[in-house]
Amino acid sequence: MKFSFFHLMPYSQLPDDFDTAYDSISLTYPNANFDPAFGASLYARYLDELEYADQLGFDGIAVNEHHQSGYGLMPSPNLMAAALTRRTSQARIMVLGNAIGIRGNPLRVAEEIAMLDLMSGGRVDSGFVRGIGWEYFGHSINPTKSRSRFNEAHDLIIKAWTSPEMFSWYGENYEYRYVNLWPRPIQQPHPPIFIPGAGSTETMKFCAERRYTYMSVYAPTGIVRRWFDGYRAAATELGYVADPEKIAFSVPIYVADTDEKAHREAQPMVEWLYHKGLKQTGEMVTPPGYMSPGSLRGVLASGLRMGGNSYEDLLANGQAVVGSPSSVTKRLSELYDELGGFGQIIGLFAIGPSTHEQVKRSAELFATEVMPVLRPLGTEGTS
Amino acid sequence: MTEEFLELAGGRVHLLRGGAGEPVLFLHAAGGAGTWLPFHEGIAAAGFEVIAPDHPGFGKSDEFPEEDSIDDLVFHYLDVLDALGLEKPHVVGASFGGWIAAELAVYAPHRIGSLTLLSAAGLRLPDHPVADLFLMPPAKITATVFHNPPPAAPAPDGPLDIDAIIAAYREATALARFSWVPFFNDPKLERRLRRISAPTLVVAPSDDRLIPVEHAKRYAERISGATYAEVPDCGHAMYFEKPEEFAAVVTAFLKEQRS
Repeated sequence: MKFSFFHLMPYSQLPDDFDTAYDSISLTYPNANFDPAFGASLYARYLDELEYADQLGFDGIAVNEHHQSGYGLMPSPNLMAAALTRRTSQARIMVLGNAIGIRGNPLRVAEEIAMLDLMSGGRVDSGFVRGIGWEYFGHSINPTKSRSRFNEAHDLIIKAWTSPEMFSWYGENYEYRYVNLWPRPIQQPHPPIFIPGAGSTETMKFCAERRYTYMSVYAPTGIVRRWFDGYRAAATELGYVADPEKIAFSVPIYVADTDEKAHREAQPMVEWLYHKGLKQTGEMVTPPGYMSPGSLRGVLASGLRMGGNSYEDLLANGQAVVGSPSSVTKRLSELYDELGGFGQIIGLFAIGPSTHEQVKRSAELFATEVMPVLRPLGTEGTS
Repeated sequence: MTEEFLELAGGRVHLLRGGAGEPVLFLHAAGGAGTWLPFHEGIAAAGFEVIAPDHPGFGKSDEFPEEDSIDDLVFHYLDVLDALGLEKPHVVGASFGGWIAAELAVYAPHRIGSLTLLSAAGLRLPDHPVADLFLMPPAKITATVFHNPPPAAPAPDGPLDIDAIIAAYREATALARFSWVPFFNDPKLERRLRRISAPTLVVAPSDDRLIPVEHAKRYAERISGATYAEVPDCGHAMYFEKPEEFAAVVTAFLKEQRS
C-alpha cells in the first residue's frame, strides 16, 4: 500500500449565513468574501503541511486544480508543485491533476510538468482531469467539447513528452505547427499518469488500456466499488490482471489519540466538506454536454440518491474515515475488503476548518501508527 | 398539420408543416421544438404554409454532430431550403432561432422573402447581457421567461421520468454546442446586418428578462428599414405566453409582404 497526503487548500472561513445565502462556495460565491491576508496565511500553512507529510514518510504529497471556488484554492496546481519541489526530498509530488479539459493551451501543461519533473528529480506524478462542471462556466469553455478536449490534450501531451522529433499537430480543438518540447521529462517514457473516475466506462477503459492509475472521487462505498470493479473488468478484457497499485482510493481521513476526540474534532470538518465545500447546484455539476446522454442515463438509473449526507451517514458510507489510530486502521482494512482491494490511499487530512495543529497530529498518528500496519496490503498478488 | 422527415447529407431533419399559401420557414427557440402551437396555427390560418423544422439535436431531428457553430447552422438551413425547394420564403425566427434567421439573412440575403425576428439572440451587447439560462434550475427558467409565470406544477410523486430528463439534456446540449461561447452571440453579426435586404420586422416582448429588449432595438436600428414592435405584458416566452398577440403582429407583417 502506498499513502499520499492530498491537499485541497480550502478557504475555510465562511460567513454565518453561508448555508442560506449562497447556492455554492464555487463559481458565484462572491470574492468579496476572500480575505487576501488570510489567504496568504493559508497558503503558507498548507504548504507547510505538505512538506511535513514528506518528512513523515508519506509516499506522495498531492495537489489539484480548482477555479473560482473556496472548495480548493489552487487555480494552478503546478505552481504549488513547483514550490514543493524545493522544500521536499522524498515524496512523489502528485498533481491530481491538471484540468486539461478547460485549459486553453495543453502544450503549456506538457511543458510545466516536464519542468516539474526536472526540478523534482523525477518525482512528479501527472494527473489529468476534465475539470468540474462549474469550471466550464467559470472559464467559458464549451462543456459539449469536454471529452474531446480532454482526449486530444492528453494525446498531445503524451506525444510531446515522448516524441523523439519535432512534430505538427492538427486536431479538432488544437493546432500546433511546431511541437518540440524543451525541456523533456526526466522520467521515461514520461511521468506516471493518474486519472480520476466517477463512473464513466469510457474512463475505465481509457485507464486500463494505458495502465494508468485509476483513482476514485468521494462517493459511497457501493458506488466506488462499481468503479473499481469496472476498471478491473476493463483490464481483464484487455487480457491482464489490474495491478492493485494502479487503483487509488481517495478519502478524507482524520486521526486523533482517541475515538472520542477524533469524532468531536472531525465532525465539523467533515460536515464542512460535504455540506459547504461541495455545495453546488445540479446545473453547476452537469452543464449540458458534460456527460453523454448514455452516462447521464446510467447515473439516473442507478439512483440519484447517494446515501444520506449526515456525519454518521458519511462515515458509514466510507466517505470519511475518523478515529483513533487503531479504529482508522480497522476501518481502512474493512474498506479495502469492501472495495475489492486497492493499492493506494489518497488521504485528505486538512479537511475544511481543521487547524494546523490538528492536521499535523492527525498526519503524524497516521504515518506512525496506521501506515505500517496497512503497508503490506494492496501490493501485487495480495488481491 | 403534417409531420415529415427531410433527408440531408448529415442526417434527418424533422419538421412540421401546416396551412396553405406562401411558405413561412419558422425557426424555433431553445424550447418548443417539434410542437405545433396556437401561434403556428394562427399564421397558417392567415393563409400561409408554415414549415417548422427542429434544429440539429432538437426534437426529432438528428444530432448533426459535426455542426458546432452558427455558420454551420446557416449552411444547414441553406440545405434545408434547397431540399424543400424553397427559393425565397418568409423566415420567422424566435430567440435562438431568431439568431439563426438573422445569420441566414446576412449570408444569403437573396434567399429571404421577409425576415421576422422575435426577441432574437445573436448580438453581443455587453451592457445588456443575455441571462445565463444554463445556470438556472427549470423552475427559475419558467419564472424568468414569463411575465406572469404559470403556477408551479406540483412535484411529481412517481419515479423520475428519465426519458424526459435525457431528452431535455440532449436539447440543452445541442443549444450549448452552438451558444456556450461566444454566449448566444456572434461578435461579427452586428456589423454584417447591413447586408440584410429583405423587409424586416423585429418584435420584442415588453418584459424580456432573458434577452433584454435592447437586443431587439439594436437589430431594428442596424437592419435597413426594419420595423420594431413590442408586445406588452409579456416575457421571453413570447408566443407561449401571448400566442394570439404574437400571431397577430407576425401575420399582419407577413400579409403586407405577400408578393
